Amino acid sequence: MFFHIYLERNMQLHPRHFGPHLRDKLISKLIQDVEGTCSGRHGFVVAVTAVETIGQGLIRDGTGYVTFPMKYQCVVFRPFKGEILESVVTMVNKMGFFAEAGPVQIFVSNHLIPDDMVFQSGDVPSYETSDGSVRIQKDSEVRLKIVGTRVDATEIFCIGTIKDDFLGLIGNPGGGA
Amino acid sequence: MGYKNYSDEEEEDDDVEEEEAEDVEDEEEEVEEEDEEEEEERSRKRKFKGSQFIDDVAEEDDDEDEEEEEAPRKRRHRRASEFIDDTAAVASDDDEEEMEGEEDFIHDEGPDLADEEDRGRKHHRAMLPEDDQQENVEDLEKFIQQRYGRQEYEEFDEAETTDVEQQALLPSVRDPKLWMVKCQIGHEREASICLMQKFMDMDMQGKPLLIKSAIALDHLKGYLYVESEKEAYVRESIRGMRMILQREVKLVPIKEMTDVLSVEKKSVDIDQDTWVRVKNGVYKGDLAKVVDVDHVRQRATIKLIPRVDLQALALKMNEGSIKGSKDDAKNRPRPAPRFINVQELQDLKISIERKRDPNHAGEYFEFFGGMQFKDGYLYKGVSLKSIDSNGVVPSFDELQKFQKPTDEGGPDTMGLPTALMSKRKGLFVKGDAVIVVQGDLKNLMGYVEKVDDDDVFVRPKDKELKGSTLAFKDRQLCKFFKTGDHVKVVAGTHEGATGMIVRVDLGSVVILSDTTKEDIKVFTANIVESSEVTSGLNKLGDYELHDLVLLDQSTVGVIVRVEKDSCQVLKGTPERAEVVTVKLRDMRKKLFDRNTNAQDRDSNVVSLKDIVRVVEGPFKGREGPVEHINRGILFIHDRHHLENGGFLCVRGLWCVALGGSRNGIDRGGRQARNNNFNGGFQAPANYLQSPRRTPNHFNHPGGGGGHGGSTFGGRQAGRRRDHGLVGTTVKIRIGPFKGYRGRVVDATDIDVRIELESQMKVVTVRRDQLSDPVGTPYHNGGGASYRESPRYGAGSETPMHPSRTPMHPAFMTPMRDPSATPIHDGMRTPMRDRAWNPHTAMNTPLRDNSWDDANPSTWGHSGTPQYQPGTPGGRQYEAPTPGGGGWANTPGASFSEAGTPSVSTGPSYGNPASPYLPGTPGGPPMTPGVPSYLPSTPGGQPMTPGTGGLDPTSPASGLSGLEIESKWGLPEIVVTVRKAGEESQIGVIHEAMPDGTCRVAMGPSGEGEIIVATHSELELVVPKKTDRIKIVSGELRRSTGKLIGIDGADGIVKMDDTLDIKILDMSSLGKMVAN
Repeated sequence: MFFHIYLERNMQLHPRHFGPHLRDKLISKLIQDVEGTCSGRHGFVVAVTAVETIGQGLIRDGTGYVTFPMKYQCVVFRPFKGEILESVVTMVNKMGFFAEAGPVQIFVSNHLIPDDMVFQSGDVPSYETSDGSVRIQKDSEVRLKIVGTRVDATEIFCIGTIKDDFLGLIGNPGGGA
Repeated sequence: MGYKNYSDEEEEDDDVEEEEAEDVEDEEEEVEEEDEEEEEERSRKRKFKGSQFIDDVAEEDDDEDEEEEEAPRKRRHRRASEFIDDTAAVASDDDEEEMEGEEDFIHDEGPDLADEEDRGRKHHRAMLPEDDQQENVEDLEKFIQQRYGRQEYEEFDEAETTDVEQQALLPSVRDPKLWMVKCQIGHEREASICLMQKFMDMDMQGKPLLIKSAIALDHLKGYLYVESEKEAYVRESIRGMRMILQREVKLVPIKEMTDVLSVEKKSVDIDQDTWVRVKNGVYKGDLAKVVDVDHVRQRATIKLIPRVDLQALALKMNEGSIKGSKDDAKNRPRPAPRFINVQELQDLKISIERKRDPNHAGEYFEFFGGMQFKDGYLYKGVSLKSIDSNGVVPSFDELQKFQKPTDEGGPDTMGLPTALMSKRKGLFVKGDAVIVVQGDLKNLMGYVEKVDDDDVFVRPKDKELKGSTLAFKDRQLCKFFKTGDHVKVVAGTHEGATGMIVRVDLGSVVILSDTTKEDIKVFTANIVESSEVTSGLNKLGDYELHDLVLLDQSTVGVIVRVEKDSCQVLKGTPERAEVVTVKLRDMRKKLFDRNTNAQDRDSNVVSLKDIVRVVEGPFKGREGPVEHINRGILFIHDRHHLENGGFLCVRGLWCVALGGSRNGIDRGGRQARNNNFNGGFQAPANYLQSPRRTPNHFNHPGGGGGHGGSTFGGRQAGRRRDHGLVGTTVKIRIGPFKGYRGRVVDATDIDVRIELESQMKVVTVRRDQLSDPVGTPYHNGGGASYRESPRYGAGSETPMHPSRTPMHPAFMTPMRDPSATPIHDGMRTPMRDRAWNPHTAMNTPLRDNSWDDANPSTWGHSGTPQYQPGTPGGRQYEAPTPGGGGWANTPGASFSEAGTPSVSTGPSYGNPASPYLPGTPGGPPMTPGVPSYLPSTPGGQPMTPGTGGLDPTSPASGLSGLEIESKWGLPEIVVTVRKAGEESQIGVIHEAMPDGTCRVAMGPSGEGEIIVATHSELELVVPKKTDRIKIVSGELRRSTGKLIGIDGADGIVKMDDTLDIKILDMSSLGKMVAN
């Protein structure tokens, strides 16, 4: 799920950046530092939308760096248990398949794939129904439900299922359903 | 020797004695009784005193008491000493003494009837058979009366005892000690009886043994306990007894004495459907399920997977039983457990009888060979003693095996959870989500509120039952988990692992391990919910997960999984992924490969943590950082690889280092020949990418600078493998193996491992101990290897070394350091220039020639001393005179030729060089024939090699040099177009085509016609101050900025996007068309 929230962060800035563009520099550094990161609490920071306040800088002893407390608004993405996501399959193997929904990696174990879909090894490993009508392979688009999340400091890993109504393949690689 | 135990024994004792009165049958027990009785008396005495003590509060009394208690001991002690003194000499003395002692004792004790009684009873005992014969009923009655009377008294006494008193009864230092004596296994009882017999006999003889009791415990094999004051008495008593090992007499610590005789409440709850293990026979250790129990007859019917050798059975049945077949059976190996198939039996012509068994509710069974079968299982009647139900926890595998593949979901599946509900304590903890699996409230869910000994209190989840707490037996409950829960395994083989549940079955779940991304099947009983993420076990002894270990002399492997007492190791066999389970003791040692490196397909150096892609072999397409290197074999960790913890084992030669130079490939056909040579040049490139990772290369770049060839020295410290020699046949010239011939199996610069032809072994021989290879030419063919010999590297390296150091900082931070002195700049520029200069492209014909020319020469001569004069790097340092800014360029500029031509082909060298001098970047290199520069650079030439070698230290330049190659063109850049036979014109690049050509719009602002030009026909127009520029090479390629100043060969640029001020080479700046 996406959220638009306020976050705070202390930015350290090298003294060489002090000057007329300090503010711009700070913001660009903030964006550079923050976007794409992941925190267990908030999930992935997708984009910084606005900088609310930049506090007074504090010179750090010894280094000359200055620390600015910054408050900014950003869009975060955090997957939740039970959430339905649409994702792209990145890898298929006999244990299941991995899919990505934006920055989140989701693993769908073969236990959580409908029983009528079986693993087909070969050049392009895939999960296929016996009649071949549904085929999940790399780059397929899949709608899945998250059944579990594991949140590390720098990564969120999910386990998903497609063993439910309206879940499963929604698009084949290269477009088309 | 606790009081409680005694009373237990007593009761039993008494019962038996009653029977005994009529019929003395069990001698054995009698022995024990005898001994115990003695004990009894003593304990009773103590008890009695205890009460006395309580009655009489006076302290003096207490003292007296103690004295009194002391008395018998005194006696014994005295007697003992005398006994020991006199045994040999006068036996009769002893008697007298004893008599005296007895008198003393009686005297001391006063009216201690108990003791007397005891004595009397002992007498009775001895006389019992006589009594029996005489059938003296009255006597018997009296005897019983006596006992009962005593018993009552006893009970009364017991009733009064409190916990404190019981405590007081625990053995103390003053009590006789218990000694553990080793005896032959199976003869424990016999030994104790013999001891009793001996005691009695000796007593009759008047020299009693000074032991108090002998105890043989059923559950303790090979030992018996003897109670006595001193070890010496014990030794004396067991002397000469065959079945007792004389030497082993051990004291049982006082604290443990009670344990010896505590009767453990054996919960003989062998019940239907419990899992048991067979204790003996052909099914020993096998898992079995109890079908029926007859507690009265102490028998049970169990269900097993049959271990029947059908072939043998068929033979036996068809030929009639042959004599001695039993012996055969003994010798025959134990048949594997297998379900019986009726069809199979019929095929073997084994006659089967099918009938109802009245014992089992009239169900049908198959009978053959005297055995009873149903559904493939063997039903066997066994005595309860021959099965073990205690702590039987069937493993998952066993259960799966036990479950017949055909009857999935059959009644045995239901057995699964019950099997897991084994009597393990601490199974549930507060807060656990549980589900009821047995009883009326089956499928009720709830949370554990409290756990008592046996009961688990559950707060039901159900709304209607909310608020109430229900008590369940722990076997009625099963932990409840949902798919997606994150759990930790707390017991079993996977103990410590964590993961997310992907599947829930009744009693077991499938977990996707966090670390290995593998499925793990575990029992719900063994997991707890946890948010912790661990890799499970990751240490075994000194070995840790992902360590490189030596398995035997020649095999290494990476630990990919740690189990309880073993590791799974991915062996270093690149041909296939081979995983072996290795016990701790089988691992020789841990290998450290901090400073090793290998070569990839293009002879780039691959060090640890370098990212490589596999391009050949079974793992083609995989990529990841190199975790370990061993003898040219890389262990790569590909996090997308799900097997073996993501580890792959590949040959270095199957990989390409990502970010490594592609030049080797680009050069196509020549590559094979120039392989090493190119390597020499690419090596720097590689260093640049990971300078910190190859600390050892530090010694070498200097050498590398010597000339192309010497870079080889720089690749590795001298333990480099020489695959060229492998497989050839050589002869050993000197040393212990002089005269031997053999095939080279492995070779380094120093040693060669040779498989001797005449002996089945592989020896390691120094290289200089070899004569010329017999099979293949060595010096000629192996030119490369020869050149790589350390002495070469050393020669060129050393002098270079000092010169590099001062330059170093300048290279490291070329851009950042605004304070760079002119000299630094001077030094730096060339490097960058060299690297960035688009015109170092390989596509100029002259270059190619120079390559071709150069290579042979270097090949041929490299390593020979004549080269070395060319490489005194020391001089190079003198070079950077102020004017040297441009001057120093030259060497650097000659990047591609760096080593090669410098020495041998001076002119060709000069040509491409010095892109700088005219201050028109890019200009001169295009025009190979610019002779005017030559004069200015002669001095530089000797230096060149040095510079070449130093190049690698400049990180920025290396990268860009490669990236640029020939396609520097970028849109919007103003260029000078020089087509052959045409006048040069100004144009603006409209589009850079992927094939290396550019579409150029003619005219200074690009409004003219569009032509297609190759890069060699284009030159950058040198921007002027305040011109807008676009950077064409380096990290900042494509970024734009404004040239705000020119400082010699450097331009001061203000970047558009970051607003940084950067000092960049003019040659990397392209003027942008003014809008």
